[in-house]
Amino acid sequence: MRKIRTGTVLTLAALLSLVPAGCAKRPNVGTQNGGVPLVGFPQTPPPPHVPGKPGGVFRLGIVEPVAIDPYNSQESEGNLVTENLFTELINVGPDGSVSPGVATSWTSNPDCSQWIFTLQHGTTFHNGEPVDSVAFKRGWERAAARSAASEVAYHMNEVQGFDAMQAGAADHLSGVDASAPDRLVVTLAHPDCEFYLRTFKTVFSPVPTVAGPADNKAYNDQPIGNGPFMMAGPWQHDRGIRLKRFDGYAAGPKANLAEVDITILPSQSAAQGEYDGFNNGTFDWARLPTPLLSQARATYQPRGEWISKKTAGINYLLPMVTTPPLNSVAARKAISEAIDRVAIARGVFQGSQVPADAFVPPALPDAYQSGVCTACRYDPADAKKLAQQAGLAPGSTVNFQFNTGGGHEEWTAAVTQQLKRNLGLNVNYSGVPFTDLLNNEQQPGASGIFRAAWGADYPTPGNFLQPLLSTGAIGANSPSQPATGDNRGRYSNPRFDQLLAQAAATPDKGQRITLYQQAEQLAIGQDLAEIPLWFRQQFRLANTMKFANMYLDFAEEPTLAEITLR
Amino acid sequence: MTRFVARRIAQAVLVLLVATLAIFLATFALGDPFASTGEKVVPPEVQAIDRAKFGLDKPLPVQYLTYLGNLVHLDFGVDFDQRRQVSSMLAETLPNTIRLALVAIALDVLIGVIAGVIAAVKRYSFTDVLVTVSSTLAIGVPTFVIGLVLVGYVSGLWIFPVVPRSFTVQVPWWHEVLLPAFTLAIIDAAFIARLMRGSMLEVLRSDYIRTARSKGLPERVVIGKHAMRNSMIPVVTYVGISLGVLMGGAIITETIFQYNGIGYLLARAIQANNAPVIMAVVVVSVVVFVLLSLLVDILYAYLDPRIRLD
Repeated sequence: MRKIRTGTVLTLAALLSLVPAGCAKRPNVGTQNGGVPLVGFPQTPPPPHVPGKPGGVFRLGIVEPVAIDPYNSQESEGNLVTENLFTELINVGPDGSVSPGVATSWTSNPDCSQWIFTLQHGTTFHNGEPVDSVAFKRGWERAAARSAASEVAYHMNEVQGFDAMQAGAADHLSGVDASAPDRLVVTLAHPDCEFYLRTFKTVFSPVPTVAGPADNKAYNDQPIGNGPFMMAGPWQHDRGIRLKRFDGYAAGPKANLAEVDITILPSQSAAQGEYDGFNNGTFDWARLPTPLLSQARATYQPRGEWISKKTAGINYLLPMVTTPPLNSVAARKAISEAIDRVAIARGVFQGSQVPADAFVPPALPDAYQSGVCTACRYDPADAKKLAQQAGLAPGSTVNFQFNTGGGHEEWTAAVTQQLKRNLGLNVNYSGVPFTDLLNNEQQPGASGIFRAAWGADYPTPGNFLQPLLSTGAIGANSPSQPATGDNRGRYSNPRFDQLLAQAAATPDKGQRITLYQQAEQLAIGQDLAEIPLWFRQQFRLANTMKFANMYLDFAEEPTLAEITLR
Repeated sequence: MTRFVARRIAQAVLVLLVATLAIFLATFALGDPFASTGEKVVPPEVQAIDRAKFGLDKPLPVQYLTYLGNLVHLDFGVDFDQRRQVSSMLAETLPNTIRLALVAIALDVLIGVIAGVIAAVKRYSFTDVLVTVSSTLAIGVPTFVIGLVLVGYVSGLWIFPVVPRSFTVQVPWWHEVLLPAFTLAIIDAAFIARLMRGSMLEVLRSDYIRTARSKGLPERVVIGKHAMRNSMIPVVTYVGISLGVLMGGAIITETIFQYNGIGYLLARAIQANNAPVIMAVVVVSVVVFVLLSLLVDILYAYLDPRIRLD
C-alpha cells in the first residue's frame, strides 16, 4: 500500500491561463488526434537494447533512505538500493511482466492456499554462502518478528503463522517449509492466486546467516545480499552509498556497471539537486522539479536524454460515498463531469499530465480498460442534470480537502473553480497537513471529496481495487468508527466484493483479469466510487551520451542491472 | 574567578533544563512520530511496538526525566527513523560545524576589524563612506540570497567544489568550507565593521589616547596597541555571541551548500519529526553557547583590567 503525498508543483501563471479555457462539451476520453494525445507528455519508448560491456561508474542522487536492509526498506530511495542488492523469487519487468528470479518456477494447489517455488541451484550471496530455501525462510522470519517492528512486513500478512509472529507468540513462520534446499513451500492462511506477485517486494528477500536479527546495525548499514550489486563499504549516512558489481552473480545476467555511486542530497530540494547535478555533470540520472518539466523537456528531448513513462499509479479524488451529499451515484458523476481535466492538464500542468479515463492505469496493459470511467468526460450540461437529479442544487455545500506542501494548491483550486462555475456549488475548500488529511478521511462523519493518489505495489489491478474499494479494507466495524483501512470512502458493494474474491481464487491469469475488469466496471463505471483524474507518469533525465539501456522499472527505479557503457 | 565560574555553570545548568524542557514540549506537540505520514502507511500494531520501544507510551514527565537521566551519562539515545546512535551523528557533524564557524569568524573578524579601523581613522574619507555603505548593504541582504548566488555562480570555479557533488569526489576540507564560511561572514563582518568604527571613534577621543600621542608615541602604536585593545570590547561581545550562534549550526547556509554540519542535521531532523536528533542538537547548541559566553566574560577582564569578575 503506497499512498503518494507529493504530486506536482505548478505555477500561478499556468493557473491564470486556465480561466478562459473550456466551456464547450469536450470528451476527456477521446483526446486522440490522429493517434497523438492532445494533452499529456507522450511516453518515450523503451530504449533499444545495447549489448553490455563491463565497466563504468553510474552516478545519481537520492535523499537519505529510511533503510536499505530488506527487513524495513520501504520508500523509493531505500528500494533503489535494496532491489539491486537482493534478488527475490521473481522479477518484475518495467511493463509489469513477471519473470523468474531465484525461483525457476512456481505453482500453487487448485485453491491457491499452498505455493511451491523451485529454486535455482548454485546461486550465492555476496559472501559466497549458498542461497537456498532456508535463506528465504530466514529472511522472511527476520522481517516478520515482532521485535523487528518492520513497516513493510504486512506484505506477508497472508502467510500462515505471520499473525503469531507479529504478536510475539511464535519465532517461526509455520507456513514456510524449507526442508528441501531447492524447494520453498509456502502455506497461506488467506488463499491468494496472486501471492507469487507479492514475493518481488524486497521484504521477501533471502538473507545469509550473518544477517542476524533485524537490529543488527552492521548488517543494516552494509547488507550482504544475493543481487547483481553488492555494497562497496558501509552506507555513509547523509553522504552516500557505493555499490559495485557482484561478479559471482548467477541468478540472472550479471550487471555491466563496475560501480554505482549514490549521493545523498538534502530532502528539502532533492529533485532540484538532482537536476542541478545532472546539469553540472555530477549525475548521470535525475528527477526534475515539476515547474521545470516543460522547459527541461524542450531542452533534453531533442538530445535523447529525456525519459517519460506511465507508471502503475493514479491520481484521483476520494469521495465519501456513505455520507451526504456524495452518497448517490448521480452526485458523484455530476462532480466528475463538471471537471475539465483537459483544461487543467493544459493550463496548470503545462501539458505534462494525462487525464484518466479509468481507475486501473494503462501501465497495467492487460487490465487497462480505456473509457471504463464513463463519467470521466467533461460534460457540464449533463453534470447539471445529474446534480439536479441528486439534489445537489446550486448553493449546496461540498467539502474539498487537500494536503499542503505537496504541490496540489493550484490544480485543486482550479477544480474548485470549475465546480463553482459549472454546478454553482459552494465548495468548502481547505488545505491541511498530510497527516491531518489522512486523519480527516478516517473520521465517521467525513463528507465531500479529498485529494488522493495511489501507487501499486504489485503488478495487478487487484492492488488498486482490493485495498481501495473492498468492504474488508474499510477497517471499521460500524459507520460510527474511524476507517482504519485504505478504503476511506467506505464504498461497499457485495457484488464487487464477490468478484474480487472470485478473482483471488482464480489461478488462470486471463480469467482473473476479466474478473477484475468486471469489478472495475462496477465500482468505477457504474458506481464511480473514486473519481479518477490523472494517470501517474514519471519523467527522468538520463546521460545517453555515455550510457545505454537506461529505463524506469516497475517500481520507478532506474534499471541499474541492465545499464551499460556505450 | 572560581566563584564566578561556578555561578555561571550553575546558571548554565538551569538554562539547559529550561531549554530541554521547552524543546521536549515542542517536539511532543509536533505529534506522534510513528503515525502514518503518507509516504509510509504504518500498521497500527507496528506503531504500538515502536511507541513502546521509545517509551512514548509513558506519561510525559516520566519521558522527560528518563531523557535527563540518560543525558547525564551523555546518552542521547537513537533516532526515530534509522535507530542510529544520535551521539555518533553528532560526532560526525559537529566537527564540520565547528570548522565552518571558526573559519567564518576568522574571516569576519579580519574583514570587519580592518574595515572598521580604517573607517574610523580616516573618518569621512571616501574609504569610510565605502565601508559604511557596503556594510549597510551587506546587513540588508539575507544570507540565503548570498548563499544561492554563490552556489549558482561561484561553486564549480577554481577550488570551489560544485553543488551538489558526488560523495565519491573527495576535496580538502578548506575547499568545501570557504564559500559557506564567506556566506556566513559577510553579515557579521558588516556588523563588526560598524561596531569597530563606532567604538574606535569614541576611544580616539578619550584622554589616554591624547596622553599617548602627547608622549610622542608613533600613531601605529597609538592605534594598534592602545586604541584597538579598548575598542575591541563590543566586538568581542558580538563575536562571542555570533560564534555561539554559528556553533549551533547555520541551518540555511549548511543546507544550501549541502555542508554536513549540525545545522543541516537539524534541518533534516525537523522535517522528519525526529525528536531525539532535534533534542540533541539543541542541547549541544545551548552548552556551546553558555560556555562561549562564559569565555567572553573572562576575556572582558583581560581586555579591560577595570572589569572585575567577582
